[in-house]
Amino acid sequence: MSAAGDDGLDEIQGIFFEECAEGLAVAEQGLSAMAGGQVSADVIAGVFRAVHSIKGGSGAFGHMALLAFSHRFENVLDEVRGGAIPPDAAVTGIMLGAFDILSDHVAAAQSGGTPPADAAMLEQLDKLLANKGAAAEPAPAPAEPAPADEFGFAPVAVDLDILDDPFGFEPVAISLDDLAGEPAGGWTVRFGPSRDAMANGGEPILVIRELERMGGQILDADLSALPPLRDLDPEESYCVWTIGLPATIDEADIRECFDFVAPDSLIDIRRQETAPGAAPPKPEPVPEIAPLPAPALRVVETSEPAAPEARPADAPQQTIRVDLSKLDQLLNLIGELVIQGSILSDRLAPADQERVELPQLARLTRQIQDNVMSLRAQPIRQAFSRVPRMLRDLMAATGKQVVLETIGETTEVDKGVLEKIGDPLTHMIRNAVDHGIESPEERLAAGKSAEGTIRLSAEQKGARIIVRVADDGRGIDRARVRAKAIEKGIVSPDAVLSDEEIDNLICAPGFSTAETISNISGRGVGMDVVRSNVEALGGRVEIHSVPGEGTSFTMALPLTLAILDGMIVRLADQRFVLPLSNVVETVQPVAGQVKRVSPGSEVIELRGAYLPMRRASELFAIAEHQRRAPEESVVIIVESGVSGLVGLMIDTIENRREVVIKSLEDNLYPIRGLGGATILGDGSIALILDIDALIVSPGFNKFAPKGMAA
Amino acid sequence: MSRIEEPGIDERKVVTFTLGNQLFGIDMRAIVEIREWEEPTPLPGVPPYILGVTNLRGAVVPVVGLAERLGWTPSPIHARSCVLVAHVGGKQAGFLVDELADIVVINGADIQPAPDTGVNESNVVSGLARIERRQLGSEANDAMVLLLDLDAISLVRQIADIAA
Repeated sequence: MSAAGDDGLDEIQGIFFEECAEGLAVAEQGLSAMAGGQVSADVIAGVFRAVHSIKGGSGAFGHMALLAFSHRFENVLDEVRGGAIPPDAAVTGIMLGAFDILSDHVAAAQSGGTPPADAAMLEQLDKLLANKGAAAEPAPAPAEPAPADEFGFAPVAVDLDILDDPFGFEPVAISLDDLAGEPAGGWTVRFGPSRDAMANGGEPILVIRELERMGGQILDADLSALPPLRDLDPEESYCVWTIGLPATIDEADIRECFDFVAPDSLIDIRRQETAPGAAPPKPEPVPEIAPLPAPALRVVETSEPAAPEARPADAPQQTIRVDLSKLDQLLNLIGELVIQGSILSDRLAPADQERVELPQLARLTRQIQDNVMSLRAQPIRQAFSRVPRMLRDLMAATGKQVVLETIGETTEVDKGVLEKIGDPLTHMIRNAVDHGIESPEERLAAGKSAEGTIRLSAEQKGARIIVRVADDGRGIDRARVRAKAIEKGIVSPDAVLSDEEIDNLICAPGFSTAETISNISGRGVGMDVVRSNVEALGGRVEIHSVPGEGTSFTMALPLTLAILDGMIVRLADQRFVLPLSNVVETVQPVAGQVKRVSPGSEVIELRGAYLPMRRASELFAIAEHQRRAPEESVVIIVESGVSGLVGLMIDTIENRREVVIKSLEDNLYPIRGLGGATILGDGSIALILDIDALIVSPGFNKFAPKGMAA
Repeated sequence: MSRIEEPGIDERKVVTFTLGNQLFGIDMRAIVEIREWEEPTPLPGVPPYILGVTNLRGAVVPVVGLAERLGWTPSPIHARSCVLVAHVGGKQAGFLVDELADIVVINGADIQPAPDTGVNESNVVSGLARIERRQLGSEANDAMVLLLDLDAISLVRQIADIAA
């Protein structure tokens, strides 16, 4: 096969694996619902369809281990669907286990790695089939269909793919053709998969999708061979499609689409000699859509289905798959546009800045930016979806019993943030199971239910996304944490620490209270990694613990990693950016308004109340002679997640502007207290302050590297 | 970045520069660009040899005092001070050097393994080579170049030290 053909195949494979991921998500949701007691024909059928389509594709691409396993799994699901195997807790448990192995199989097929050991699971599945099912035969033949009336769902699975997809895809396909200025003529392809094509793993929809991608459209679907429902075998293929393709396509390319189709299928490719002018035949039932004027608009369309993977596997998806790096590039360019806009604004006289063109340009830029951000927004479900599996493994390893509750998994978050949530989330869940949740005996002795609960929640609060992992376990043993921290030399034995400060010690580098190092957590890096990862994202971690009642870890993350609304402030000769989301108000202190209450702490009086205040000049170790007195400074009242309002004393405020966040990590490493850097209009660099890490975190002074601490 | 003509087998182009009285060399393939010294934006809480960050065509790049990093006395800033921007372990960093000397071709066979030079990390100097040093208005004379292995200077390695 030509190199181009290989590329094409890789691309189809890529789609297959994306569909696998979607299928796995659907299956997992269904199985989790069943485990939670929600057993319905719809749920079972959904799981069956998902596994079925994974099986279909795996055969087409020669992933034989995946094919064999998914086939067996499908057989069991088929029996469950037909009622021959009751979906009780034991069976659901086995199916969850089978699902985990199926995920491993998919991962192995995708990475080209070794397939997982599935013999034990296959045996369990076979046992299920042998004991309860009618069709015990484990051979890779289609399962015996259940009685006709019982299997109303199976034909739907096949037919929806066939009937719905064309209507979902066609409007876009036509408009693209129109744009391309298609010449006269064109190809007509008739395609009728052989009866047993699907039993051999051939999935006709993959071929049709590939043709559609080349600009093809289904002109006709001949269903005359379709038997009455009662006689229909869902495993067989009955349809013959007529597909029109633009004349610009090579015959060889069309033929290549059929490389993996069973040899005895009907494949008829011929050129339309008589096509009149530039009007290829258009199917009647398809609504005409005005030609889309610009490629940009096509991209915007992809944002319409807010959560593509949330749809059932067989729903039509009006989407275009876009390489993520292209979106990243687009976002970068818009960042530069924002900077250039600021520079332009700076260069103009104040009167000109207010003229109509500039605000309009700013508004347009903002709209483009919002649009691109929405393209990158993904539901947090993607990060949450691997938690159930991990919990099952952890439960098996620890013997603890845990119920997972998830809340707000449709909350949308930038893809970049989403990718970085995974690791901290893993550590937090592991930590909760390993250190938080007690063993069933301990729980019963403490008057709790034997099963622990972990509540995983996400919500958007302003420009932040709040992800919380809360358990109802034993809470943090503060005496033990403190003793351990002293033993490790993290705090001095005579240090006076608040409960909150002690809780935060578990995030200190090198801290671990696990008596024995388990293979789950207890390597002493877990929570440290969580905190540094989250802070590198410009977020923060909060810990709340009530002894005997449980612990919650809260990550507060920015919605986007790219652009920040900031206040530019000046300190000594340097400019800094303060995230506007933290700023509450600014105060010009008068003499006596700032009072020192102890050698290390000051307060500012504000309308009769006293707020803690920090001098940025001390935090940044500015030379003594450059430090200003409070009366010559400005105090910015900032809001922090933990301690509420705090004053931050800086020299002056310059202006307010949107800045593009450049990570320090790209060429250096994350620095505590800084959320990154940005390039100002004059080309100079300003550091972005991470207010929470800088002021609020009680650990800051104790753990900050020298030179940074007050 | 334009590719330099490939020198002969086992020959490499080396950018040489001085720190104090000592001549150093960095493989030219690692160099991104050479720029004039410009005061970088200082960073809080970093080791003294990280002088700050600077704007390299839209990227935020650290500037490292190479002399301090190698344990020598810090370079004084003067009119010929310059910054060598180089690839270091997948990242970019600028290195402050005293003065740029030359670009020379060194044959791999002429490079000796480095003896203990008193530099705090022995593996930072990957080798020694003798070169002919061109100087304006005087006879060409021999000089010794300490070839630096930039990846061994990698700043990433320092993270553990800083966090500890």
